[in-house]
Amino acid sequence: MRSFGEVWRSTIFQKWVMAITGILLVLFLVGHLSGNLLIFLGPDAMNGYAVGLRELFHGAALWIVRLGLIVIFVLHVRAGIVLSQRNRKAKGVRNQKFEARSSTVASRSMIYTGLLLLFYVVYHLAHFTWGAAHSEFYHYTDALGRHDVYRMVIESFRQPTIVATYVLAMAVTGLHLNHAIASAFQTLGVSHPRYTPLIKTAGPAVSILLVLGFLSVPLAIAFGVVGG
Amino acid sequence: MNLRLHIWRQSGPTDTGMMKTYDLADVSEHMSFLEMLDVLNEQLSERGEEPVAFEHDCREGICGSCGMVINGRPHGPLPRTTACQLHMRTFKDGDEIYIEPWRARAFPVVRDLVVDRSSFDRIIQSGGFVSVNTGNAQDGNTLPISKKDADYAMDAAACIGCGACVAACPNSSAMLFTSAKIGHLGALPQGQAERYDRAENMVLTMDAEGFGACTNHYECEAACPKGISADFIARMNRDFVMAGLLNR
Ligand code: HEM
Ligand code: FES
Repeated sequence: MRSFGEVWRSTIFQKWVMAITGILLVLFLVGHLSGNLLIFLGPDAMNGYAVGLRELFHGAALWIVRLGLIVIFVLHVRAGIVLSQRNRKAKGVRNQKFEARSSTVASRSMIYTGLLLLFYVVYHLAHFTWGAAHSEFYHYTDALGRHDVYRMVIESFRQPTIVATYVLAMAVTGLHLNHAIASAFQTLGVSHPRYTPLIKTAGPAVSILLVLGFLSVPLAIAFGVVGG
Repeated sequence: MNLRLHIWRQSGPTDTGMMKTYDLADVSEHMSFLEMLDVLNEQLSERGEEPVAFEHDCREGICGSCGMVINGRPHGPLPRTTACQLHMRTFKDGDEIYIEPWRARAFPVVRDLVVDRSSFDRIIQSGGFVSVNTGNAQDGNTLPISKKDADYAMDAAACIGCGACVAACPNSSAMLFTSAKIGHLGALPQGQAERYDRAENMVLTMDAEGFGACTNHYECEAACPKGISADFIARMNRDFVMAGLLNR
Protein backbone atom coordinates (compact mmCIF):
# COMPACT_ATOMS: atom_id res chain seq x y z
CA MET A 1 0.00 0.00 0.00
CA ARG A 2 1.22 3.44 -0.94
CA SER A 3 0.50 6.77 0.73
CA PHE A 4 -2.38 8.88 -0.56
CA GLY A 5 0.13 11.60 -1.48
CA GLU A 6 1.91 9.26 -3.87
CA VAL A 7 -1.34 8.17 -5.47
CA TRP A 8 -2.57 11.79 -5.74
CA ARG A 9 0.62 12.91 -7.53
CA SER A 10 0.56 9.99 -9.97
CA THR A 11 -0.05 10.56 -13.66
CA ILE A 12 -3.19 8.43 -13.69
CA PHE A 13 -4.79 10.08 -10.66
CA GLN A 14 -4.15 13.55 -12.05
CA LYS A 15 -5.70 12.42 -15.33
CA TRP A 16 -8.77 11.31 -13.39
CA VAL A 17 -8.95 14.73 -11.78
CA MET A 18 -8.74 16.31 -15.22
CA ALA A 19 -11.35 13.99 -16.71
CA ILE A 20 -13.88 14.35 -13.88
CA THR A 21 -13.52 18.13 -13.67
CA GLY A 22 -13.55 18.34 -17.48
CA ILE A 23 -16.82 16.39 -17.71
CA LEU A 24 -18.34 18.62 -15.01
CA LEU A 25 -17.26 21.68 -17.01
CA VAL A 26 -18.88 20.24 -20.12
CA LEU A 27 -22.10 19.67 -18.15
CA PHE A 28 -21.89 23.27 -16.97
CA LEU A 29 -21.56 24.35 -20.61
CA VAL A 30 -24.75 22.46 -21.48
CA GLY A 31 -26.59 24.35 -18.72
CA HIS A 32 -24.99 27.64 -19.73
CA LEU A 33 -26.03 27.12 -23.34
CA SER A 34 -29.65 26.44 -22.45
CA GLY A 35 -29.69 29.74 -20.56
CA ASN A 36 -28.13 31.59 -23.49
CA LEU A 37 -30.71 30.31 -25.95
CA LEU A 38 -33.41 32.18 -23.99
CA ILE A 39 -32.28 35.21 -25.98
CA PHE A 40 -34.40 33.86 -28.82
CA LEU A 41 -37.48 34.10 -26.58
CA GLY A 42 -37.05 37.83 -26.07
CA PRO A 43 -36.06 40.33 -23.36
CA ASP A 44 -38.52 39.21 -20.75
CA ALA A 45 -37.41 35.56 -20.76
CA MET A 46 -33.72 36.51 -20.64
CA ASN A 47 -33.90 39.18 -17.92
CA GLY A 48 -36.36 37.16 -15.85
CA TYR A 49 -34.04 34.15 -16.00
CA ALA A 50 -31.07 36.28 -14.92
CA VAL A 51 -32.95 37.61 -11.92
CA GLY A 52 -34.20 34.11 -11.14
CA LEU A 53 -30.63 32.78 -11.04
CA ARG A 54 -29.53 35.53 -8.68
CA GLU A 55 -32.46 35.07 -6.33
CA LEU A 56 -32.62 31.26 -6.21
CA PHE A 57 -32.42 30.24 -2.52
CA HIS A 58 -31.91 33.92 -1.61
CA GLY A 59 -28.79 34.09 -3.74
CA ALA A 60 -27.17 31.07 -2.10
CA ALA A 61 -27.56 28.79 -5.13
CA LEU A 62 -25.59 31.08 -7.41
CA TRP A 63 -22.68 31.30 -5.00
CA ILE A 64 -22.58 27.59 -4.30
CA VAL A 65 -22.41 26.90 -8.03
CA ARG A 66 -19.80 29.61 -8.51
CA LEU A 67 -17.58 28.27 -5.72
CA GLY A 68 -17.93 24.75 -7.12
CA LEU A 69 -16.98 25.98 -10.58
CA ILE A 70 -13.94 27.82 -9.26
CA VAL A 71 -12.68 24.71 -7.47
CA ILE A 72 -13.33 22.53 -10.51
CA PHE A 73 -11.64 25.00 -12.82
CA VAL A 74 -8.57 25.39 -10.64
CA LEU A 75 -8.17 21.61 -10.28
CA HIS A 76 -8.55 21.12 -14.03
CA VAL A 77 -6.12 23.83 -15.04
CA ARG A 78 -3.56 22.85 -12.39
CA ALA A 79 -3.58 19.18 -13.42
CA GLY A 80 -3.35 20.19 -17.09
CA ILE A 81 -0.32 22.38 -16.53
CA VAL A 82 1.45 19.93 -14.19
CA LEU A 83 0.95 16.98 -16.53
CA SER A 84 1.93 18.74 -19.71
CA GLN A 85 5.14 19.96 -18.10
CA ARG A 86 5.84 16.41 -16.94
CA ASN A 87 5.15 15.10 -20.44
CA ARG A 88 7.46 17.61 -22.06
CA LYS A 89 10.23 16.64 -19.68
CA ALA A 90 9.59 12.92 -20.25
CA LYS A 91 10.22 13.26 -23.98
CA GLY A 92 13.39 15.31 -23.64
CA VAL A 93 15.20 15.44 -26.99
CA ARG A 94 12.75 14.99 -29.86
CA ASN A 95 13.30 12.97 -33.01
CA GLN A 96 13.97 15.13 -36.04
CA LYS A 97 11.16 13.33 -37.84
CA PHE A 98 7.78 12.59 -36.34
CA GLU A 99 4.99 11.14 -38.47
CA ALA A 100 1.67 11.19 -36.64
CA ARG A 101 -0.58 8.19 -37.14
CA SER A 102 -3.53 8.71 -34.80
CA SER A 103 -2.97 11.92 -32.85
CA THR A 104 -4.71 15.05 -34.13
CA VAL A 105 -4.11 18.78 -34.08
CA ALA A 106 -6.73 18.93 -31.33
CA SER A 107 -5.11 16.23 -29.20
CA ARG A 108 -1.62 17.66 -29.56
CA SER A 109 -2.66 21.22 -28.70
CA MET A 110 -4.74 20.58 -25.55
CA ILE A 111 -2.53 22.66 -23.29
CA TYR A 112 -2.51 25.60 -25.75
CA THR A 113 -6.26 25.57 -26.38
CA GLY A 114 -6.70 25.14 -22.62
CA LEU A 115 -4.57 28.16 -21.76
CA LEU A 116 -6.33 30.25 -24.42
CA LEU A 117 -9.62 29.22 -22.80
CA LEU A 118 -8.29 30.45 -19.48
CA PHE A 119 -7.71 33.92 -20.96
CA TYR A 120 -11.06 33.82 -22.69
CA VAL A 121 -12.93 32.92 -19.50
CA VAL A 122 -11.40 35.91 -17.68
CA TYR A 123 -12.33 38.22 -20.57
CA HIS A 124 -15.82 36.75 -20.80
CA LEU A 125 -16.44 37.26 -17.07
CA ALA A 126 -15.09 40.81 -17.31
CA HIS A 127 -17.50 41.43 -20.17
CA PHE A 128 -20.82 40.00 -18.98
CA THR A 129 -20.42 39.39 -15.23
CA TRP A 130 -18.24 42.18 -13.86
CA GLY A 131 -18.97 44.81 -16.50
CA ALA A 132 -15.31 45.69 -16.57
CA ALA A 133 -14.82 45.17 -20.31
CA HIS A 134 -17.18 46.97 -22.71
CA SER A 135 -18.82 48.58 -19.66
CA GLU A 136 -20.79 50.94 -21.92
CA PHE A 137 -23.24 48.07 -22.55
CA TYR A 138 -23.49 46.93 -18.94
CA HIS A 139 -25.62 49.52 -17.19
CA TYR A 140 -29.02 49.26 -18.87
CA THR A 141 -32.16 48.51 -16.87
CA ASP A 142 -35.43 47.30 -18.37
CA ALA A 143 -38.97 48.62 -17.75
CA LEU A 144 -39.28 46.49 -14.60
CA GLY A 145 -36.04 47.90 -13.18
CA ARG A 146 -34.12 44.66 -13.80
CA HIS A 147 -30.55 44.50 -15.12
CA ASP A 148 -31.18 44.49 -18.88
CA VAL A 149 -29.09 41.46 -19.81
CA TYR A 150 -30.92 41.16 -23.12
CA ARG A 151 -29.95 44.65 -24.28
CA MET A 152 -26.38 44.23 -23.01
CA VAL A 153 -25.98 41.12 -25.15
CA ILE A 154 -27.64 42.65 -28.20
CA GLU A 155 -25.61 45.88 -28.09
CA SER A 156 -22.37 43.94 -27.50
CA PHE A 157 -22.83 41.64 -30.45
CA ARG A 158 -23.56 44.52 -32.77
CA GLN A 159 -19.84 45.26 -32.50
CA PRO A 160 -17.97 43.26 -35.17
CA THR A 161 -14.77 43.05 -33.09
CA ILE A 162 -16.62 41.54 -30.13
CA VAL A 163 -18.35 39.02 -32.42
CA ALA A 164 -15.01 38.11 -33.98
CA THR A 165 -13.47 37.57 -30.54
CA TYR A 166 -16.26 35.24 -29.49
CA VAL A 167 -16.15 33.31 -32.76
CA LEU A 168 -12.43 32.74 -32.26
CA ALA A 169 -12.96 31.71 -28.65
CA MET A 170 -15.58 29.18 -29.71
CA ALA A 171 -13.23 27.75 -32.34
CA VAL A 172 -10.69 27.20 -29.56
CA THR A 173 -13.35 25.65 -27.33
CA GLY A 174 -14.37 23.34 -30.16
CA LEU A 175 -10.80 22.22 -30.68
CA HIS A 176 -10.29 21.54 -26.96
CA LEU A 177 -13.52 19.59 -26.62
CA ASN A 178 -13.03 17.76 -29.92
CA HIS A 179 -10.39 15.65 -28.18
CA ALA A 180 -11.46 16.14 -24.58
CA ILE A 181 -14.88 14.51 -24.38
CA ALA A 182 -13.98 11.08 -25.79
CA SER A 183 -10.61 11.24 -24.06
CA ALA A 184 -12.21 11.68 -20.64
CA PHE A 185 -14.08 8.38 -21.04
CA GLN A 186 -10.87 6.49 -21.82
CA THR A 187 -9.16 8.13 -18.84
CA LEU A 188 -11.99 7.02 -16.56
CA GLY A 189 -11.54 3.47 -17.81
CA VAL A 190 -14.68 3.22 -19.91
CA SER A 191 -13.83 0.81 -22.68
CA HIS A 192 -16.17 -1.57 -24.39
CA PRO A 193 -15.97 -3.16 -27.84
CA ARG A 194 -19.40 -1.83 -28.77
CA TYR A 195 -19.58 1.54 -27.01
CA THR A 196 -16.01 2.84 -27.36
CA PRO A 197 -16.29 3.45 -31.13
CA LEU A 198 -19.60 5.21 -30.43
CA ILE A 199 -17.97 7.46 -27.81
CA LYS A 200 -15.16 8.30 -30.21
CA THR A 201 -17.73 9.56 -32.73
CA ALA A 202 -20.09 11.16 -30.22
CA GLY A 203 -17.36 13.20 -28.45
CA PRO A 204 -16.44 15.35 -31.45
CA ALA A 205 -20.11 15.53 -32.51
CA VAL A 206 -21.15 16.89 -29.12
CA SER A 207 -18.30 19.40 -29.23
CA ILE A 208 -19.51 20.70 -32.60
CA LEU A 209 -23.12 20.92 -31.40
CA LEU A 210 -22.10 22.86 -28.29
CA VAL A 211 -19.99 25.31 -30.27
CA LEU A 212 -22.70 25.85 -32.90
CA GLY A 213 -25.22 26.43 -30.12
CA PHE A 214 -23.07 29.08 -28.47
CA LEU A 215 -22.25 30.70 -31.81
CA SER A 216 -25.91 30.96 -32.76
CA VAL A 217 -26.37 33.88 -30.34
CA PRO A 218 -23.66 36.32 -31.51
CA LEU A 219 -24.21 35.37 -35.15
CA ALA A 220 -27.99 35.79 -34.97
CA ILE A 221 -27.47 39.24 -33.47
CA ALA A 222 -24.69 40.25 -35.84
CA PHE A 223 -26.87 39.37 -38.83
CA GLY A 224 -29.90 41.12 -37.38
CA VAL A 225 -32.02 37.97 -36.89
CA VAL A 226 -32.46 38.80 -33.21
CA GLY A 227 -32.78 42.27 -31.70
CA GLY A 228 -33.55 43.92 -35.05
CA MET B 1 18.52 0.51 -55.19
CA ASN B 2 20.52 3.50 -54.00
CA LEU B 3 19.64 5.17 -50.74
CA ARG B 4 20.58 8.24 -48.76
CA LEU B 5 20.56 7.47 -45.03
CA HIS B 6 20.42 10.07 -42.27
CA ILE B 7 21.48 8.31 -39.07
CA TRP B 8 21.77 9.54 -35.50
CA ARG B 9 25.40 9.16 -34.39
CA GLN B 10 26.30 9.53 -30.74
CA SER B 11 29.54 8.09 -29.36
CA GLY B 12 28.32 7.65 -25.79
CA PRO B 13 25.75 8.69 -23.17
CA THR B 14 27.34 12.09 -22.58
CA ASP B 15 28.00 12.96 -26.24
CA THR B 16 25.46 15.43 -27.70
CA GLY B 17 25.18 13.47 -30.95
CA MET B 18 24.03 14.53 -34.40
CA MET B 19 22.55 13.29 -37.66
CA LYS B 20 25.08 12.07 -40.24
CA THR B 21 24.37 11.34 -43.88
CA TYR B 22 25.54 8.19 -45.68
CA ASP B 23 24.98 7.14 -49.29
CA LEU B 24 24.48 3.43 -49.73
CA ALA B 25 24.52 1.90 -53.22
CA ASP B 26 23.14 -1.37 -54.63
CA VAL B 27 20.82 -2.28 -51.80
CA SER B 28 18.82 -5.42 -52.59
CA GLU B 29 15.08 -5.21 -52.07
CA HIS B 30 15.20 -8.67 -50.48
CA MET B 31 17.32 -7.48 -47.57
CA SER B 32 15.76 -6.80 -44.22
CA PHE B 33 16.24 -3.32 -42.82
CA LEU B 34 18.83 -4.61 -40.36
CA GLU B 35 20.72 -6.43 -43.13
CA MET B 36 20.86 -3.13 -44.99
CA LEU B 37 22.45 -1.61 -41.86
CA ASP B 38 24.86 -4.60 -41.69
CA VAL B 39 26.01 -3.80 -45.22
CA LEU B 40 26.48 -0.15 -44.30
CA ASN B 41 28.48 -1.17 -41.22
CA GLU B 42 30.79 -3.41 -43.26
CA GLN B 43 31.52 -0.51 -45.56
CA LEU B 44 32.09 1.82 -42.62
CA SER B 45 34.49 -0.67 -41.03
CA GLU B 46 36.40 -1.05 -44.26
CA ARG B 47 36.75 2.72 -44.44
CA GLY B 48 38.03 2.73 -40.85
CA GLU B 49 34.94 4.48 -39.48
CA GLU B 50 32.89 3.44 -36.43
CA PRO B 51 29.99 1.15 -37.42
CA VAL B 52 26.48 2.25 -36.43
CA ALA B 53 25.51 0.63 -33.13
CA PHE B 54 22.02 -0.86 -33.10
CA GLU B 55 20.37 -3.55 -31.01
CA HIS B 56 19.15 -6.82 -32.46
CA ASP B 57 18.82 -10.43 -31.45
CA CYS B 58 16.18 -12.74 -32.89
CA ARG B 59 15.63 -10.93 -36.18
CA GLU B 60 12.28 -12.65 -36.39
CA GLY B 61 10.06 -10.13 -34.64
CA ILE B 62 9.76 -11.79 -31.24
CA CYS B 63 12.49 -10.50 -28.93
CA GLY B 64 11.85 -6.77 -29.01
CA SER B 65 15.50 -5.73 -29.29
CA CYS B 66 15.54 -3.98 -32.63
CA GLY B 67 14.02 -0.62 -31.79
CA MET B 68 14.71 2.37 -34.02
CA VAL B 69 12.65 5.23 -35.38
CA ILE B 70 12.55 5.02 -39.18
CA ASN B 71 11.25 8.09 -41.00
CA GLY B 72 9.50 9.37 -37.88
CA ARG B 73 7.80 6.08 -37.05
CA PRO B 74 8.98 3.46 -34.55
CA HIS B 75 9.95 0.30 -36.47
CA GLY B 76 9.20 2.10 -39.74
CA PRO B 77 6.18 2.56 -41.98
CA LEU B 78 4.51 -0.87 -41.90
CA PRO B 79 1.86 -1.65 -39.27
CA ARG B 80 2.53 -4.56 -36.90
CA THR B 81 6.08 -5.02 -38.15
CA THR B 82 9.31 -4.83 -36.18
CA ALA B 83 12.37 -3.18 -37.76
CA CYS B 84 13.97 -6.62 -38.28
CA GLN B 85 10.91 -7.80 -40.20
CA LEU B 86 10.80 -4.70 -42.38
CA HIS B 87 12.23 -5.36 -45.83
CA MET B 88 13.85 -3.00 -48.27
CA ARG B 89 11.13 -3.67 -50.85
CA THR B 90 9.08 -1.22 -48.75
CA PHE B 91 11.45 1.51 -49.98
CA LYS B 92 12.35 2.61 -53.46
CA ASP B 93 15.43 3.75 -55.31
CA GLY B 94 16.51 7.26 -54.37
CA ASP B 95 14.69 7.29 -51.01
CA GLU B 96 16.04 9.27 -48.09
CA ILE B 97 15.65 7.42 -44.82
CA TYR B 98 15.92 8.98 -41.36
CA ILE B 99 17.05 6.53 -38.68
CA GLU B 100 16.94 7.69 -35.06
CA PRO B 101 16.89 6.15 -31.58
CA TRP B 102 13.85 5.90 -29.28
CA ARG B 103 13.42 9.23 -27.52
CA ALA B 104 12.49 9.32 -23.84
CA ARG B 105 14.18 10.62 -20.73
CA ALA B 106 13.64 7.15 -19.24
CA PHE B 107 15.44 5.57 -22.23
CA PRO B 108 18.85 7.30 -22.26
CA VAL B 109 20.87 6.78 -25.43
CA VAL B 110 23.80 4.43 -24.85
CA ARG B 111 25.28 4.80 -28.29
CA ASP B 112 23.94 5.69 -31.76
CA LEU B 113 20.60 3.84 -32.01
CA VAL B 114 20.96 1.85 -28.80
CA VAL B 115 19.00 3.02 -25.78
CA ASP B 116 18.97 1.76 -22.20
CA ARG B 117 15.55 0.23 -21.56
CA SER B 118 16.26 -1.06 -18.06
CA SER B 119 13.51 1.26 -16.79
CA PHE B 120 11.11 -1.32 -18.29
CA ASP B 121 12.82 -4.03 -16.23
CA ARG B 122 12.30 -2.00 -13.07
CA ILE B 123 8.60 -1.59 -13.88
CA ILE B 124 8.35 -5.39 -14.27
CA GLN B 125 10.28 -5.99 -11.05
CA SER B 126 7.84 -3.83 -9.12
CA GLY B 127 4.82 -6.02 -9.91
CA GLY B 128 5.06 -8.08 -13.10
CA PHE B 129 4.92 -11.43 -11.32
CA VAL B 130 2.52 -13.81 -9.60
CA SER B 131 3.19 -15.61 -6.33
CA VAL B 132 2.76 -19.39 -6.40
CA ASN B 133 3.18 -21.91 -3.63
CA THR B 134 6.10 -24.25 -3.96
CA GLY B 135 5.66 -28.00 -3.71
CA ASN B 136 4.03 -30.42 -6.07
CA ALA B 137 2.72 -29.14 -9.35
CA GLN B 138 -0.98 -28.45 -9.26
CA ASP B 139 -3.38 -30.89 -10.88
CA GLY B 140 -4.13 -29.98 -14.45
CA ASN B 141 -7.52 -28.34 -14.92
CA THR B 142 -7.92 -27.30 -11.27
CA LEU B 143 -7.83 -23.68 -12.41
CA PRO B 144 -10.35 -23.39 -15.21
CA ILE B 145 -9.81 -20.32 -17.37
CA SER B 146 -12.43 -19.38 -19.92
CA LYS B 147 -11.45 -19.07 -23.55
CA LYS B 148 -12.45 -15.40 -23.41
CA ASP B 149 -10.11 -14.65 -20.49
CA ALA B 150 -7.31 -16.73 -21.97
CA ASP B 151 -7.56 -14.88 -25.29
CA TYR B 152 -7.68 -11.52 -23.54
CA ALA B 153 -4.60 -12.30 -21.44
CA MET B 154 -2.84 -13.64 -24.51
CA ASP B 155 -3.49 -10.41 -26.42
CA ALA B 156 -1.74 -8.51 -23.63
CA ALA B 157 1.03 -11.10 -23.32
CA ALA B 158 1.94 -10.50 -26.98
CA CYS B 159 3.93 -7.46 -25.79
CA ILE B 160 7.62 -7.95 -26.57
CA GLY B 161 8.73 -4.95 -24.51
CA CYS B 162 10.39 -3.25 -27.47
CA GLY B 163 9.47 0.28 -26.34
CA ALA B 164 7.92 1.43 -29.63
CA CYS B 165 4.90 2.68 -27.66
CA VAL B 166 7.13 5.01 -25.65
CA ALA B 167 8.95 6.17 -28.76
CA ALA B 168 5.70 6.86 -30.62
CA CYS B 169 4.11 8.76 -27.75
CA PRO B 170 4.59 12.54 -27.86
CA ASN B 171 4.76 12.34 -24.04
CA SER B 172 7.03 9.29 -23.92
CA SER B 173 4.42 7.58 -21.81
CA ALA B 174 4.91 3.90 -21.01
CA MET B 175 1.21 3.28 -20.39
CA LEU B 176 0.68 0.77 -23.20
CA PHE B 177 3.61 -1.39 -22.02
CA THR B 178 2.69 -1.13 -18.34
CA SER B 179 -1.02 -1.70 -18.97
CA ALA B 180 -0.31 -4.75 -21.12
CA LYS B 181 1.68 -6.30 -18.27
CA ILE B 182 -0.92 -5.37 -15.65
CA GLY B 183 -3.76 -6.55 -17.92
CA HIS B 184 -2.07 -9.84 -18.79
CA LEU B 185 -1.59 -10.97 -15.20
CA GLY B 186 -4.69 -9.24 -13.83
CA ALA B 187 -6.99 -11.10 -16.26
CA LEU B 188 -5.95 -14.55 -15.01
CA PRO B 189 -6.92 -16.27 -11.74
CA GLN B 190 -3.26 -16.70 -10.78
CA GLY B 191 -2.83 -12.94 -10.90
CA GLN B 192 -5.75 -12.01 -8.66
CA ALA B 193 -3.93 -12.07 -5.30
CA GLU B 194 -1.68 -9.18 -6.23
CA ARG B 195 -3.99 -7.52 -8.73
CA TYR B 196 -4.38 -4.12 -7.05
CA ASP B 197 -0.92 -3.94 -5.48
CA ARG B 198 0.48 -4.75 -8.90
CA ALA B 199 -1.45 -1.94 -10.59
CA GLU B 200 -0.41 0.54 -7.91
CA ASN B 201 3.25 -0.43 -7.77
CA MET B 202 3.83 -0.72 -11.49
CA VAL B 203 2.16 2.62 -12.25
CA LEU B 204 4.08 4.44 -9.52
CA THR B 205 7.35 2.89 -10.69
CA MET B 206 6.53 3.96 -14.24
CA ASP B 207 6.01 7.52 -13.00
CA ALA B 208 9.18 7.47 -10.92
CA GLU B 209 11.21 6.35 -13.95
CA GLY B 210 10.23 9.60 -15.66
CA PHE B 211 7.76 8.37 -18.30
CA GLY B 212 5.00 10.84 -19.19
CA ALA B 213 1.23 10.70 -18.76
CA CYS B 214 -1.24 9.41 -21.33
CA THR B 215 -3.13 12.06 -23.31
CA ASN B 216 -5.01 9.48 -25.35
CA HIS B 217 -3.36 10.20 -28.69
CA TYR B 218 -3.29 6.43 -29.36
CA GLU B 219 0.04 6.73 -31.19
CA CYS B 220 1.27 3.78 -29.07
CA GLU B 221 -1.45 1.47 -30.31
CA ALA B 222 -0.77 2.48 -33.92
CA ALA B 223 2.98 1.87 -33.53
CA CYS B 224 2.85 -1.39 -31.56
CA PRO B 225 4.33 -4.19 -33.68
CA LYS B 226 2.09 -6.63 -31.82
CA GLY B 227 -1.09 -4.59 -32.22
CA ILE B 228 -1.77 -4.25 -28.49
CA SER B 229 -4.93 -2.28 -27.86
CA ALA B 230 -5.14 0.92 -25.82
CA ASP B 231 -8.17 -0.67 -24.15
CA PHE B 232 -5.60 -2.13 -21.76
CA ILE B 233 -4.78 1.43 -20.72
CA ALA B 234 -8.43 2.05 -19.86
CA ARG B 235 -8.40 -1.14 -17.79
CA MET B 236 -5.23 -0.01 -16.01
CA ASN B 237 -6.82 3.39 -15.30
CA ARG B 238 -9.66 1.51 -13.59
CA ASP B 239 -7.42 -0.89 -11.68
CA PHE B 240 -5.14 1.88 -10.44
CA VAL B 241 -7.96 3.94 -9.00
CA MET B 242 -9.61 0.80 -7.57
CA ALA B 243 -6.28 0.07 -5.90
CA GLY B 244 -6.26 3.55 -4.43
CA LEU B 245 -9.69 2.90 -2.95
CA LEU B 246 -9.19 -0.72 -1.86
CA ASN B 247 -5.66 -0.43 -0.54
CA ARG B 248 -6.48 2.03 2.22
C1 HEM C 1 -9.18 27.20 -18.95
C2 HEM C 1 -8.21 26.50 -19.01
C3 HEM C 1 -8.16 25.06 -19.41
C4 HEM C 1 -6.99 24.42 -19.49
C5 HEM C 1 -5.63 25.00 -19.19
C6 HEM C 1 -7.27 23.07 -19.91
C7 HEM C 1 -6.32 22.12 -20.13
C8 HEM C 1 -6.55 20.83 -20.43
C9 HEM C 1 -5.53 19.88 -20.70
C10 HEM C 1 -4.04 20.15 -20.74
C11 HEM C 1 -6.12 18.70 -20.91
C12 HEM C 1 -5.35 17.45 -21.10
C13 HEM C 1 -5.68 16.68 -22.24
C14 HEM C 1 -5.18 15.32 -22.11
O1 HEM C 1 -4.44 15.01 -21.14
O2 HEM C 1 -5.55 14.57 -22.95
C15 HEM C 1 -7.53 18.90 -20.79
C16 HEM C 1 -8.45 17.92 -20.91
C17 HEM C 1 -9.77 18.14 -20.84
N1 HEM C 1 -10.39 19.37 -20.74
FE1 HEM C 1 -9.52 21.12 -20.41
N2 HEM C 1 -8.61 22.90 -20.08
C18 HEM C 1 -9.20 24.10 -19.79
C19 HEM C 1 -10.52 24.38 -19.86
C20 HEM C 1 -11.46 23.44 -20.10
C21 HEM C 1 -12.85 23.73 -20.17
C22 HEM C 1 -13.49 25.10 -20.04
C23 HEM C 1 -13.44 22.52 -20.38
C24 HEM C 1 -14.89 22.22 -20.50
C25 HEM C 1 -15.71 22.74 -21.20
C26 HEM C 1 -12.45 21.48 -20.45
C27 HEM C 1 -12.69 20.14 -20.64
C28 HEM C 1 -11.74 19.15 -20.71
C29 HEM C 1 -11.98 17.73 -20.78
C30 HEM C 1 -13.34 17.05 -20.80
C31 HEM C 1 -10.73 17.09 -20.86
C32 HEM C 1 -10.46 15.59 -21.02
C33 HEM C 1 -9.86 14.94 -19.84
C34 HEM C 1 -9.17 13.67 -20.24
O3 HEM C 1 -8.61 13.56 -21.31
O4 HEM C 1 -9.17 12.74 -19.47
N3 HEM C 1 -11.25 22.08 -20.29
N4 HEM C 1 -7.77 20.22 -20.51
S1 FES D 1 15.54 -8.36 -33.49
FE1 FES D 1 14.12 -9.43 -32.22
S2 FES D 1 12.29 -8.34 -32.64
FE2 FES D 1 13.65 -7.47 -34.07
